[in-house]
Amino acid sequence: MNLFNKETGQNKSQAELLYQVQQKKKFIFRRNVILSWAGLLLFLIFLFSGIELRSANRVTSISAWHFEIVTENDVKVRKRVERVLASLPVGLPNDGISLKTIAVDNEFIRNNSNFVAQGIVQTIKISALSIMLAIVLALLAALGRLSTNPVVYAVSTFYVSLIRGTPLYLQIFFFFLALPQLNIVLTGLWAGVLALGLNYGAYMSETFRAGLSSVGKGQREAASALGMTPGQTMRRIVLPQALRFAIPPMGNDFISMTKDSALVSATGFVHEIMWRATKVGRAEFRNMEALVMAAIFYWIMTLLLTSIQSRVETRLAKGDR
Amino acid sequence: MEAIVRISNLDKYFDRLHVLKDISVDIQPREVVCLIGRSGSGKSTLLRCINFLEEPSHGSIEVDGIRVAGGEKGKVHRQLVHDVRLKTGMVFQEFNLFPHMTVLENVIEGPVIVKGMDRKEAIAFAEENLDSVGMLFKKDEYPMRLSGGQKQRVAIARALTMQPRVMLFDEPTSALDPELIGEVLNVMKKVAKDGMTMLVVTHEMGFAREVADRVIVMSDGQLIEDSKPEELFTDPKDPRTKALIDRYRTGE
Repeated sequence: MNLFNKETGQNKSQAELLYQVQQKKKFIFRRNVILSWAGLLLFLIFLFSGIELRSANRVTSISAWHFEIVTENDVKVRKRVERVLASLPVGLPNDGISLKTIAVDNEFIRNNSNFVAQGIVQTIKISALSIMLAIVLALLAALGRLSTNPVVYAVSTFYVSLIRGTPLYLQIFFFFLALPQLNIVLTGLWAGVLALGLNYGAYMSETFRAGLSSVGKGQREAASALGMTPGQTMRRIVLPQALRFAIPPMGNDFISMTKDSALVSATGFVHEIMWRATKVGRAEFRNMEALVMAAIFYWIMTLLLTSIQSRVETRLAKGDR
Repeated sequence: MEAIVRISNLDKYFDRLHVLKDISVDIQPREVVCLIGRSGSGKSTLLRCINFLEEPSHGSIEVDGIRVAGGEKGKVHRQLVHDVRLKTGMVFQEFNLFPHMTVLENVIEGPVIVKGMDRKEAIAFAEENLDSVGMLFKKDEYPMRLSGGQKQRVAIARALTMQPRVMLFDEPTSALDPELIGEVLNVMKKVAKDGMTMLVVTHEMGFAREVADRVIVMSDGQLIEDSKPEELFTDPKDPRTKALIDRYRTGE
């Protein structure tokens, strides 16, 4: 370890050395976490690689399974085909043992990845519209919850209780299938946005309420003493502080809403990722490939959103100090 | 001379608790008045009634010619309260700076938002006041980065920038580390010297003795003594005042 501080030209103090050791420990830990992640990811890829290790009939071999279109009796069929990569003329007798991984239909993925990926736009559209609705509703519900007016308080708690007490899946179908009986016909997209917005609005109202009550009474008093009206106090003093408190959990809600938007596919009329994946998967009985594809798209989207969220969080934390 | 603050027959109840009992006081322009008393005597409540952070139950408050009766509701009452608040500046024990704004933003918030002052004009005026409390060098910092004493000096500048006729101080040094009290008291002396009418709830007997024109002693929601500091500290008339002053002496 370097005991000399170049900047000050003196030996490092004990505190500096301790800090250095801690930083080094942290760095090593973080590096090992990243390496482990990479290892797990590689293992997952290997699991879907179609590679088979076999030792039978006194032959040990490594082979790769894949799908190929072959013509059998003038009919084109997709068949699993084995290609031996390497083999040794020694091994266990008879059936022996084999270690098989899952072979996916690359051909199918190549042909359909574009189609499924086009659903990303719809997924983002539903999530963005729903989150906007949810924020407005959550704010109103939170303010209602903090209100001293019993009717307003009741409306707010009633809404939250009703929405949280029923399944999201039911709510989507209610807006899509039940409302037409009342001659209110919503498109799949708007039924989904309404249901998701109402649902997340109810959940997020708790976050907002916590944010609003985190702003101390002294802040309101200081604003009043300056002559601010209740509206100005709310807009200029209370809300900015409450939002800063509420943004990190809101990010989590937005991420989970992005995933819950998959439920809207059940209406059958919103062509987002999940709808497209199940459509092509069922058509060619390649559900595994289709769902793995959709999973990858969702995962990448949430990874991006998470990284944006953590960046926003660091920036907010800076303003705090 | 016409009184600038006139408190008439003020009563305040918290439910059944009678915390202020028929209080009447006049304060003249440019006067510095210290309110002392044991905790729970009602001195903070009296101060907070003047700008209606606490709504008085009965009686009235008059600040610079605007008279507001307590215990009323409605639009007219709200407007009067607003007018009174524009005439009074308040400094809190816990500073209550807005943590999401820089020092300068804290100080210009009132003039710009409440008075509709031009931003540039407000900044020039705010910088002048920050300079006079010795905090101009921190104008772009967030309150989080300031010491307690610095925060309180900014809070004083914030209140002064509203150009109030009366400044109310609610135990301005009680939340401070002992070594930071001096800088805040010095700023308050400066404000007093500049001719501001001040009403100060405090435990700082040294400050009361040195700066105050009058010292009012409260006990159980009543005024028990109201006299010049030199008389009060050397020859207290009420035995409760004597006990209070003795307690501070031995406590220090």
